[in-house]
Amino acid sequence: MIRPVLVRREVPVRGGQPLAFAVGLLVALLLGAVLLLVAGDSPMEVYRRMLSASFGDLEAFSVTLNRAIPLALAGLAVAIAATMGLWNIGAEGQILFGATTAAGIAQIGEGWSGPVLILAMIVGGSIGGALWALGPAAAKAYIGVNEIITTLMLNEIAIRLIRYLINGPWKDPEGYGFVQAPALPEQSFLPNLFQRTHVGLLIAIAVLAVIGLMVSRSSWGYELRVAGSSGATATYAGISLKRKILTVLVLSGTVAGLAGGIELTGNATRLTETVSNGYGFAGIIVAALALMRPSGVAAVAVLFGAVQVGGQSIKAIGVSDAVSTVLQALILFGVIAAGVLIVYRIEMAEPAGHKARSTSRVRSA
Amino acid sequence: MDAAPLAVELKGIWKRFPGVVANAGTELTVKRGSIHAVLGENGAGKSTLMNVLAGVYRPEEGEVRLFGERVVFANPADALAAGVGMVHQEFRLVPTFTVAENVVLGAAERVLNMGAVERRVAELAEQFSLDVDPQRHIWQLSMGERQRVEILKALWRDAEILILDEPTAVLTPNEADELGLVIRRMANDGRSVIFISHKLHEVKQYCDEATVLRGGKTVAASMAVVDLTPQQLAELMVGEATDAALRPEPRQAGDQLLTVQDLCALNNRNLEALSNISLSVHGGEIVGIAGVAGNGQRELSDVIAGLRESTSGTVKLFGEDITTATPRQRFRAGLSYIPEDRVGVGLAPQLSVTDNAILRSYREHTRGPLIAVDRAKAFCADVVDSFKVRTGSLDQRIAGLSGGNLQRLLVGRELTAKPSVIVASQPTRGLDVQGVKAIQELLIDARNEGLGVLMVSEDLDELLAISDRIIVMHGGRIAAEYGGADANRSAIGLAMAGETP
Repeated sequence: MIRPVLVRREVPVRGGQPLAFAVGLLVALLLGAVLLLVAGDSPMEVYRRMLSASFGDLEAFSVTLNRAIPLALAGLAVAIAATMGLWNIGAEGQILFGATTAAGIAQIGEGWSGPVLILAMIVGGSIGGALWALGPAAAKAYIGVNEIITTLMLNEIAIRLIRYLINGPWKDPEGYGFVQAPALPEQSFLPNLFQRTHVGLLIAIAVLAVIGLMVSRSSWGYELRVAGSSGATATYAGISLKRKILTVLVLSGTVAGLAGGIELTGNATRLTETVSNGYGFAGIIVAALALMRPSGVAAVAVLFGAVQVGGQSIKAIGVSDAVSTVLQALILFGVIAAGVLIVYRIEMAEPAGHKARSTSRVRSA
Repeated sequence: MDAAPLAVELKGIWKRFPGVVANAGTELTVKRGSIHAVLGENGAGKSTLMNVLAGVYRPEEGEVRLFGERVVFANPADALAAGVGMVHQEFRLVPTFTVAENVVLGAAERVLNMGAVERRVAELAEQFSLDVDPQRHIWQLSMGERQRVEILKALWRDAEILILDEPTAVLTPNEADELGLVIRRMANDGRSVIFISHKLHEVKQYCDEATVLRGGKTVAASMAVVDLTPQQLAELMVGEATDAALRPEPRQAGDQLLTVQDLCALNNRNLEALSNISLSVHGGEIVGIAGVAGNGQRELSDVIAGLRESTSGTVKLFGEDITTATPRQRFRAGLSYIPEDRVGVGLAPQLSVTDNAILRSYREHTRGPLIAVDRAKAFCADVVDSFKVRTGSLDQRIAGLSGGNLQRLLVGRELTAKPSVIVASQPTRGLDVQGVKAIQELLIDARNEGLGVLMVSEDLDELLAISDRIIVMHGGRIAAEYGGADANRSAIGLAMAGETP
């Protein structure tokens, strides 16, 4: 009769997220070790390799940071919307359309100087992301259409748009029969800051800092938090919900689009449909692990980037693709599960009927 | 009829909640094959008693007997198995399922032949004249049809005793009459129906017997409805308690501050909630709005505060038309509002005490685009001190505060703005005795300082105790108005129940 139930803690465990990371990681590594042994790999060897590939030296860390940039921006995009209780599941599509816009600008500005072209592509990417979010934002604000559905569906449309462009109008004439977009002009490549980390790092840090401050300290962010807590309370306080929904979803799209622009100028040689590499979806997990707080997104993104980079590196020592993917997933599951225990605690429930709890139960006979 | 065995006997039922005794030895007996009305004001203990009978609550003392046998229910499923079905005010249906699917949900054979089920549901509906198509989805149905599905659910499970909790609240008058026929058919079939209502004419029209509750006690048990006048029922409901002497000395009312003229508005279901309401509030008086829940009081206060649009009519503050002003403009013009739903409208539950204290004034505590945290905290500390809000830290989420402290914070914030008029909707509901007293005193102090107070309450004793005037609302209209001195409980009770005094 006694069974465990999750009960929400009144105050989350202090220093909870780092603790959740540590515990979740540990559990996942233990489970992963079993998996690796079964698959015939040496856990110690694999883990050492993962660690050295992601944090081993400055070069390895620079690769991890490079990964963290789009993850952090996508996570920020999701977190801003979530502050107001909105779900932007479409960061992936906004990144893709942002990258597409940037690629379009690169075609127009082939003859422009490097800094001008790069700036135009990054700004253009942001605008592209904003435009991609505008439809769902307006539909939500004015007629109440669920933004989860609309933003999600636009992801598919963005991928197909790129496919169409690559197969049609933007097909590379010098592609020797390969279906691909034309190569980006050399001067559009974002310069590196150090090792393999590009200048996008500085942009990401600046955007995270400014938006983080806006959300937590500005009156704009205050209105956002009130609206996220209760829409009726926001109306009572004289806050226009429509305008808030519109601005927050468009800003969310702008940030995701920025990630798309940076990714294209920083890491790509041409527009492909894999330019986003799933960052938009990973951003949802990043935001969730950061408890939807913009301030926590950066740290989570770096760790998430490290898991990805480390997970891919072990393929080089013969660990199968499947095992590598499962290992990455285990780590994320572990951290997420531990994160739940920061906010909830496990209690043993008494048999039904003794508590007023049964009052809330829907009749089930 | 008299020889029929008793279907339901509730004996000496006690049920307490933190700070409230809902049932204090309540008694109820219901005959087989009869329609039995349970009457009482809000908070009289009707819903709690019905939840005890339906297995939702366990009574602390007392016994439940069905057809002479003592029963103990651990949960609603037990009660249902014993033949007690309840149709709650909030329907419990799956919108995307069909009628038939909802009816058999949780009570179906393992292998479901939907065709056969639909036929049987249709037959059952036919038997009791419940007009509803088994194949339609719930979201396509009107409220009246949904209620019929709930009744079908109970009949499908062979409920011998059906509890209807204020069933006509969601119905049009025609639908209510149809419901009356359905329950009569059920009674003729030998089932018992318990009909909870505030509306005296419905009790007269549909029911055989009536039991009246007041303050958790049975004040009149199983009276034959034919012998009763609405006047008698009303008096039983509101009682003859002596008026508390809390009311301050009457004083000369000041200028007319708030004027409402011919106001009309719709409710959330787009039905008319207010029709041609006209009233005024002067400085230095408390105007009480009495009425049974759902007679337009909530819509009235929302429209005055700017949270709901009016369809016609005007609202004026200091003679200035504010009918189309935003909530913020009204507040800045001197109109404070204590909404009925404190935590969902007046406060933001996930935010801190400070964030909630500055909800009305955050634009004044800024430095550039940023909130000046030091000034916001100073403001909050001021409200917390002046209105004795008990809280740990100002950064604490308000979710941890008690109901009384939440209301002090809300009322304190609204009064700190030095308004001229304060609209308070159910400001003391759910508070403990001390909390009620504290809030009432704050409102009386505000009145003595010359503010105009418009106070909506379902607690007639409270209104009689502190109002200078009482306006009774019924069916979205003003049914009657009384000056403080000539306010008469039973007349107000009648007006609340929609009978012309």
